[in-house]
Amino acid sequence: MKVLFALQISLFSYSIATGQTTIQGHIKDSDSQPIPGVNIMLLDTYDGTTTDASGKFEFRTAESGMKTLVIKFVGYRELTKQVNLEDKKIIIDASLEEEINQLEAVTITAGSFTAGEASRRTVLRPLDIVTTAGATADIAGVLNTLPGTQKVGEQGRLFVRGGEGNETRTFIDGMVVMEAYGAAAPNTPSRGRFLPFMFKGTSFSTGGYSAEYGQALSSALVLESKDEEAVTRTDVGLLSVGADVAHTRAWDGGSAAGKIQYTNIRPYYKLLDQQIDWKTPPASIEGVAAFRQQVGKTGMVKLYGNFNEADFSLYNHDIDDDKIKSLYDLTNRYRYLNGSYKDALNDNWIIRSGVSYTAIRNDIKVDDMIIGETERGLHAKTVFEGSLSNQLELKAGGEFIVREYDQIFSGNSHAAADHHFNEYIGAAFAETDIFISNDFVTRTGLRLEYNNLTSTIRLDPRISMAYKTGDAGQISLAYGHFRQSPKNEWLKLNTALEAEQAQHYILNYQRIENNKTFRIETYYKRYRDLVKFGNDAGTMLTNNGSGYARGIELFWRDNETIPALDYWISYSFLDTERDYLHFPQQAIPNFASTHNFSIVGKYFINTLNSQVGVTYSFASRRPYHDPNQEKFNSGRTPSYHDISLNLSYLPKPYIVIHFSCTNLAGFDNVFGYEFSTQRNDQGEYNGRPIRHPAKRFLFLGVFITLSRDRSMNMLPSL
Amino acid sequence: MKTKHSLVVALLLALITSVSMANDGKYIEAMKKSITQLYEADQIAEYQESVNAFNRIASAEKNKWEAYYYSAYANIMMATLEPYAEKKDAYLDQAMLAIEEAKSLAPNESEVIALEGFAMMMRISVDPGSRGAMYAPQAQQSFNKAVALNENNPRALALKAQMEFGTAQFFGSSTKDACATNAMAIEKFGTYTSENILAPQWGTTMTEGLAEKCK
Repeated sequence: MKVLFALQISLFSYSIATGQTTIQGHIKDSDSQPIPGVNIMLLDTYDGTTTDASGKFEFRTAESGMKTLVIKFVGYRELTKQVNLEDKKIIIDASLEEEINQLEAVTITAGSFTAGEASRRTVLRPLDIVTTAGATADIAGVLNTLPGTQKVGEQGRLFVRGGEGNETRTFIDGMVVMEAYGAAAPNTPSRGRFLPFMFKGTSFSTGGYSAEYGQALSSALVLESKDEEAVTRTDVGLLSVGADVAHTRAWDGGSAAGKIQYTNIRPYYKLLDQQIDWKTPPASIEGVAAFRQQVGKTGMVKLYGNFNEADFSLYNHDIDDDKIKSLYDLTNRYRYLNGSYKDALNDNWIIRSGVSYTAIRNDIKVDDMIIGETERGLHAKTVFEGSLSNQLELKAGGEFIVREYDQIFSGNSHAAADHHFNEYIGAAFAETDIFISNDFVTRTGLRLEYNNLTSTIRLDPRISMAYKTGDAGQISLAYGHFRQSPKNEWLKLNTALEAEQAQHYILNYQRIENNKTFRIETYYKRYRDLVKFGNDAGTMLTNNGSGYARGIELFWRDNETIPALDYWISYSFLDTERDYLHFPQQAIPNFASTHNFSIVGKYFINTLNSQVGVTYSFASRRPYHDPNQEKFNSGRTPSYHDISLNLSYLPKPYIVIHFSCTNLAGFDNVFGYEFSTQRNDQGEYNGRPIRHPAKRFLFLGVFITLSRDRSMNMLPSL
Repeated sequence: MKTKHSLVVALLLALITSVSMANDGKYIEAMKKSITQLYEADQIAEYQESVNAFNRIASAEKNKWEAYYYSAYANIMMATLEPYAEKKDAYLDQAMLAIEEAKSLAPNESEVIALEGFAMMMRISVDPGSRGAMYAPQAQQSFNKAVALNENNPRALALKAQMEFGTAQFFGSSTKDACATNAMAIEKFGTYTSENILAPQWGTTMTEGLAEKCK
């Protein structure tokens, strides 16, 4: 009985509270402002509370002994304090340090436009790539409506801030893409090879970009491919110029997708008159495959492959005598393979590694001269990214880029020399982001490059910073040194040519508020070591060229004011001159126009389940050289105008009907002039305007998506 | 001697079970208190207190999916009340973190999967133009999976109905199926009870709102 009584007593005494401790205090941030909503918790217990509107808290606990008090709130670094619960009252006054949050912190915007789902601070959305009229779902097409680009309609590439088309380099998942544009007939625009539907993020830089990207004098187009697809589906597209079928298979942690597209412009050209004398209009077959797989908890492997075979031939008519014509025949074979791996090494560091391989073969026939051109590229890169502390981020890596080029002439008429070169570039780069706070960041980077053809090692610094001026605005500036090996066309003639160089100075102010974006940017670029002809024939080349480009750009986007309407306006002013290639003196290059203006609108008509897009583009007169004039490049084309329209109609959730038309109003746009090499009877050189093959390009497509869930459609994938 | 021995054993057993039940009892009591507070909240500050309370319980217990579930639910409620897009996303980020924990503890729990779909639906509302294409099919898949795991779960049915109704409205197709799903949800709210005393109970307001539109 005594034992029982003792047990009862011990049971009874067990359930008596052993005494309470009160914990109270005041939580502030580093500016001494109170923080409400903070979680104060006693580790391994339920006890705790939340700070009130003035940052104060108080709670009682029956626990005893030494315990850990944890103070945490989103956006701040967690604080822990040891407390001894034998005291009756504990007062904690603490100040929380800001956590540098990647998505909330200020980002460097000088010279860069990003479109991505993750960040809300972006100016473009991934859907913009496909819904912008005039772009016909070509990435370069929509980027051409942004400030910093010049309209060069006859080439269809990106010409950025007084730079040539090849000065913009495309990267997919960090790996360089050679020949990112499809083969095109001379003076006809080429399209990007990569379909917008593959990408979840696009970063278009008009200057001042990261030390990670090299061999691009003016601009880097950085595309990030999608992570795994979540849903299995089949997509079929019936287009006015061909057809495509794609299948995506999704499983837990990975997906695989494949697409085959056949394009043949011939039926379209038969219907609509063309100004080009096609022998065989362009036809191509393209296959794309993408594979993604999660590896472990944090890793991802991505494989991407693209093959494309395109074929066309046309007759070039002599400028003086239309009846004389020569045949131009091009067969292009393109293979691209890209593999990348990304994983978290630990809580703070990630590794990104990749390899890309490009193989291009062009077989060109000009009358009876046959030119075989092969280009092979290999790019291998590894990057480590991580935080050294809450306020210091570091990125460092190395890469190896190989470019092999072969050009072989055969056939009779011309005894031209064969060309061949192998270029090996090894580079290392490092970049730090120093966050003084969430409002002020400085980025300093250094890039080291070795080139075997010139046997030189070069060091290029890059520095940029951004400062948030308020809730919605920020100032950003950037300076950088960039270099790029000359084009194949020149390097093949003189493999000792040095890289062309450019220095960028950029200043920018951006404000994003309530779905409205305002942006103004000014820049100055200094070009050095541009390729220049040492003789008139262009067979002797030097790096004696130079140039400059400067300008101001404005951008305004609003998808708030008028419901269902999303529009943006962009204007670029460019003042540029260069002394390069065959130029006898410094002059404005042919691809530059002083004023470039675009207004893009998209309107969703709910009752009709449709989206309408309209784009108006303007570019001021471009220079061209008229041999009948004494002064070099004194000719000026008329101004360029274009009104394009596109329409997407969803009759059912899984069907999209898409129609687009460029140059609706039928403006007669002239991009330049070609001149005869001989004088005519009047002693003048005959000229011929360079225009689009047809005034308007019309396109119609029906896209059907088959999946278990019938509400999926191709709208985002067009 | 034998009776005394067995009495001691019985008492010891009672002591042991009462201690462990007191632990579970403590958990259940704390959860019940916090759940009541949660259902009474209607301001962001109040939901924040709920999030914090559930986070404390979740961190102390480490293996209770319900604590993470309600933390996520409270964050989603904050997202529904928050007008500022960036903050909305921040709350949904927190909700998704908690849902991931809940999923790893209870991978086949219909309520957790339904809640995940709810979070994705809220993601769309932040920027329908861009997010719709990516999150709508994923949300739909989540709801279908939640219903497959428990066809009587009224919340899975109610959320599925919301999604179907929105999609039908967008394409101008018939809302009949959506309204039928909603009607079934209302029925299940009346008849379904879970064995789990901490199981979620919310959702009737959602069905009432949709029922009005279905009239």
